[in-house]
Amino acid sequence: MAGAKNKHWAMVIDSAKCIDCKACDVACKRENGIEANGRREVYRNWITSKGVEGTYPNLKQRFEPSQCHHCANTPCYKVCPTSATYKNDDGLIMMDYKRCIVCSTCIAACPYDARYVSKQKKAIDKCTFCAHRIYTGKLPACVDTCPTKVRVFGDLNDPESEVSKILASRHYFVIKPEAGTKPNLYYLT
Amino acid sequence: MSTLIGSAIQNVKSSFSPRGVVWTLWAGILVVIGLAALVNYFIHGHDAYGTSRQVPWGILISTYVFFVVSSTGLCLVSSLGHVFGFKQFEVIGKRAIVMAIATILAGFAVIATEIGYPFRMLIYNFVSPNFAAAIWWMGTLYGLYLLFILLEFGFMMKVHHKYAGYAGLAAFVAGIAAHSNLGAVFGLLDARKWWSGPFLPIYFILSAAVTGCAIVLLLFAVRYMKEKMPDNVRDTMLTISKLFCFLLGVLIFFGIWKLFSSLYAGAPGKYEAMMALVNGPLWVSYWGFEVFLGMVLPFVLILVTKGKNLGVAVFAAASSMVGIFFMRYNLVVAGQLKPMRYDPEVVGAGGLVSYAPTITEIGIVLGGIGLCLLMYIAANMIFNLDAEEHH
Repeated sequence: MAGAKNKHWAMVIDSAKCIDCKACDVACKRENGIEANGRREVYRNWITSKGVEGTYPNLKQRFEPSQCHHCANTPCYKVCPTSATYKNDDGLIMMDYKRCIVCSTCIAACPYDARYVSKQKKAIDKCTFCAHRIYTGKLPACVDTCPTKVRVFGDLNDPESEVSKILASRHYFVIKPEAGTKPNLYYLT
Repeated sequence: MSTLIGSAIQNVKSSFSPRGVVWTLWAGILVVIGLAALVNYFIHGHDAYGTSRQVPWGILISTYVFFVVSSTGLCLVSSLGHVFGFKQFEVIGKRAIVMAIATILAGFAVIATEIGYPFRMLIYNFVSPNFAAAIWWMGTLYGLYLLFILLEFGFMMKVHHKYAGYAGLAAFVAGIAAHSNLGAVFGLLDARKWWSGPFLPIYFILSAAVTGCAIVLLLFAVRYMKEKMPDNVRDTMLTISKLFCFLLGVLIFFGIWKLFSSLYAGAPGKYEAMMALVNGPLWVSYWGFEVFLGMVLPFVLILVTKGKNLGVAVFAAASSMVGIFFMRYNLVVAGQLKPMRYDPEVVGAGGLVSYAPTITEIGIVLGGIGLCLLMYIAANMIFNLDAEEHH
């Protein structure tokens, strides 16, 4: 998936809206033909329970959906000996499965635990922001399916895109900023 | 060529001793265990291993490290003689280089069972190399290193000391470069705070030199188990035992500062990994094997005998080798136990994930050790590995 050379794909996540229904996980697996076959560790995206906040009776449960952060400063890409992990023209972190030797160095290098060994692909696998969909004008499957619209996806190079407008108007943070990875997953506060 | 083959056959015939048969039998049993484990791996794939999404590198990676550290160490120690011109060390040359070849080949065999698709590596290492990846440099440089030590051994057998010296120098440089890159495979992973930094590439070289001394002591102890050790060999071994003791002292010094610096500030990632060793799931492996058997006991033994008792030095070397095996395991596993994110289904007490080697992994490790011994035994039978006088 070469890319369009003028896009800066990013995802904005409003965790406060997440109800932990896991539709994103299901949609991702269906869209990408991922068969877990009982292996718990096979997934491209996930939801982490951040625990209960507040004091009774004003309690709130918060969930944090996540996936590959498609980092601009990319640790997994640097360590891959055979260039099986590559960046497309728009900075998406992709896999060329036939080159992957499954040395698992990229798994060890990823500070977000976004990679896993895929028996199906006979390679390491990860989220691609559904590259096969976004270049045909569709949204990633996890974005499309979310009932509460937790995720917003778009092009940061386009000031009129929804992601650009949200990030211009709301406070946000990234996960593990100290890792210096310059991730493209933004979380609203 | 015909004389070389003739003398090889003669060597094989004269090497058949009851002791040799027993060694071969033990090594053979280990290889059979390894093959059985390999069959299980071929049936079940990586499911036969204890590795996971959170701990992708297990005992097979640490055993690979153990073998290549041994190989590099043997190359470094043997270089003292025929590369750097310390005459006293020339007696160890051939035997050490043969073991360096056996250990690196055993290491390659073990890692081939851990890497999912090793044949792809042979292709895409050349077709689409990533020069930014330490693992690419490590693999490529170790390939070159193997070539150079094979050449070095060939020249040694042909008694071409000059060319053996050149090949030895090339092997020394390639070995240092490859081995520090192996340290960098871990040290450049910034996500794994306990590994990251310049410590590991440097530590790996020091650690290799320690291992090289220990293996040389063991090789010559076995060689002269049933006959008197020549005086010049004995003198060399005593010198090596002192060098071994000195390097162990430096290794302990490195270890102490790694311990303090990991715990001092309580920095996330570093602290938990070190505590997993100090007072966590790996404490026996750390204190019992790595610290006591691997470093402190051999250091103290040689120190109190003032490096004059070869028997004690050999025992110290054996103790150290057992400890060093666990040292590698601790290094690889502890660095991964602090997970990259909190997943309640896999994170256990103390916020750590877990890893335990399976029977299949242990079988492959034993097979690797057996393979290494078998290759050395075969070389010992085929070639005359004792030193020849210079002409």
